[in-house]
Amino acid sequence: MSQESSENKACIFSQEQLQVIRQGYEDWFNSVLTEGDRRDEISGKYLTHSGIPIKLLHTPADVAHVDYTQDVGFPGRPPYVRGVYPNMYRGRPFTLRQLAGLGAPEDCNLRVKYLLSHGATGVNILFDLPTIRGYNSDDPEAEGNVGHCGAAVDSIWDIDAFFKDIDLGQISASIVTHLPSTSIVIPGMYFTVAAQRGVPRDKIAGTCQNDFIMETCVGSGPEILPPEVSFRLQCDVVEHICKHYPRFNPISFNGYNLREAGTDAVAEVGIAIANAVQTAEELLRRGMDVDAFAPRMSFFWDLHNDFFEEIAKCRASRKVWYRIMHDRFGAKNPKSCLMRFHIQTAGVSLTATEPLNNVARSAIQGLAATLGGCQSLHIDSYDEAYSAPTEDAALVSLRTQQIIQSETGVINTADPLAGSYYVEYLTDQMVQRIDDYVKKIEEMGGLVRAVENGWLHREIAGYNLKYQKKIENGEMKVVGVNVFRSEEGKSRDIEVYEYPETYSRQKAKLDRLRKARDEQKVKECMQVLRDKCHTDENLYPYTMEAVGHLVTLGEIEALFREEFGLWTFPLIS
Amino acid sequence: MSRPIKVVMAKLGLDIHWRGVYLVSQFLRDAGMDVVYIGNKFPEQIVEAAMQEDPDVVGLSTLGGNHLTLGLKTVTLLREAGMDRVKVFMGGVIPPKHIPQLLDGGVHKVYGPDTPMETIIRGINEAAGQ
Repeated sequence: MSQESSENKACIFSQEQLQVIRQGYEDWFNSVLTEGDRRDEISGKYLTHSGIPIKLLHTPADVAHVDYTQDVGFPGRPPYVRGVYPNMYRGRPFTLRQLAGLGAPEDCNLRVKYLLSHGATGVNILFDLPTIRGYNSDDPEAEGNVGHCGAAVDSIWDIDAFFKDIDLGQISASIVTHLPSTSIVIPGMYFTVAAQRGVPRDKIAGTCQNDFIMETCVGSGPEILPPEVSFRLQCDVVEHICKHYPRFNPISFNGYNLREAGTDAVAEVGIAIANAVQTAEELLRRGMDVDAFAPRMSFFWDLHNDFFEEIAKCRASRKVWYRIMHDRFGAKNPKSCLMRFHIQTAGVSLTATEPLNNVARSAIQGLAATLGGCQSLHIDSYDEAYSAPTEDAALVSLRTQQIIQSETGVINTADPLAGSYYVEYLTDQMVQRIDDYVKKIEEMGGLVRAVENGWLHREIAGYNLKYQKKIENGEMKVVGVNVFRSEEGKSRDIEVYEYPETYSRQKAKLDRLRKARDEQKVKECMQVLRDKCHTDENLYPYTMEAVGHLVTLGEIEALFREEFGLWTFPLIS
Repeated sequence: MSRPIKVVMAKLGLDIHWRGVYLVSQFLRDAGMDVVYIGNKFPEQIVEAAMQEDPDVVGLSTLGGNHLTLGLKTVTLLREAGMDRVKVFMGGVIPPKHIPQLLDGGVHKVYGPDTPMETIIRGINEAAGQ
């Protein structure tokens, strides 16, 4: 920071005050601390999870260059460090969004109603692996996975069953589709069902995930579309939904699953933002105005164990996004510059050993998410390391959120940790490091390129190896696993939900569907879609048309694989 | 000198979580084993890879709930192909109550979350007779 510019800055402390503080610090360091403490401090061995140096004591001197109005500001005002809304949780507490999805859509319908009746204000709809990866329940690839870890969805009939007796104009549905290739189909099924029930388009609220990184990097799979194809479909989804469904978020840039696959907090945010930047560039190239899509871009963060760093990450990410949208893309609509995000607590931090300990871990992470100013929250369930959440465990998670909101008082004031020397220092550090990470990816030619050439996969694998070695050698402590181990509490018998009948139910439904539909129409829709794959046109209208005529998810995905070809996941030896 | 222990590691079927399987592969490699990671594969393809690679151990990873179906199917297909010598290890998110069924079905060992790498390495060394 140059001397001249700092003169005009509204720094919190004057140069004179800082001088006194620095002297005081020196004095404290040299005459109050023991020699051991001093040695420890000089060795620099205390680092955050992402490697930011931590001092024994942070003082105003660490944030001397921070200008309150420019760098921190007010909630609902740039640079949004203190939150995206002026009245934050007083106006709108974070959405209590818990996962639902197990077995057949009919089973999920009961779970969704259960969660809504216990006070959840939104639901995350999870799918089984065949649905996530774009296979029908009766495709051979689906064998053994139908209805596990999420709901099986093959056609609009399933979406209709999933939301039976639920007013689609009243809820906000987060449709966790993962891949762009399924995001161009499943939300289309949702819109079709909503239209059939007479729900106006502007009442349909929700989010779909739609992230090409999920297809090509975070999740592996037997059949993967090439990164540039997946990215094209991602942009098709954003473009189409922004134009037609004003309250639906067409993309959730997924830092969460990246982090779970293996990154630190800096890379988690940096990669997701690099994806958002490339998406914005592509939509501008297609002729859209930045303010036509940016307000509907949303993000998804992980909330991991390093309490203060995670809070700093949340605060910093809002500032980085504001500056990109405002300074670089010239967004005029303030909403374009607001980074809104959903948070899920870190599944990867939970243990199979002594699973009830996970209630404590998740509660602490949930508190950090709240202090970070998230817009909606999912708290992981204690049985995470055993199965998708059982009903009891899901209720504890929901109750944890309600305890944070109703009992702790932390939601009564905006961004309560602002002004902490440590938190502001970390926030400043995170901003710089995220900026650098985004820059690094852009210098490589953008995120699609960084995926194509396997850089991102190597980055993740390298991080994981480092992290795991720290767990193996005890440097990173995991209670009950590598410290404070006990023999008796090792594991618990956790009731696992099983839906062995899902396959036969889905199969029977697909058989009925194939009899009920107009095969001639199906053929026509498929041929049009096939042809359009080889044009620059947005494919969304054609997949919508197809699902309306009862074309199945598996059929559309198979068509994409045929037309676009497959890509080999890096790291395979 | 005997040849290093050879391990074929696979992600079972559609399961998307590759962090664990790739990590274990790296640790086994560092422990001196000859490791081939074949990515996401279905039972028939895993057996095919095993026929080509002639491993001592096949490691199957799943967090996707297909351990009882595709996991046991892989064991059966390996036996049918005459590869009785190959020991099958499984890892991932597997409910404890399913473990006896897997062991009865011919899986050699099942390692859940939190298992130290050392345990896995020792387990494979013992199983491969070294």
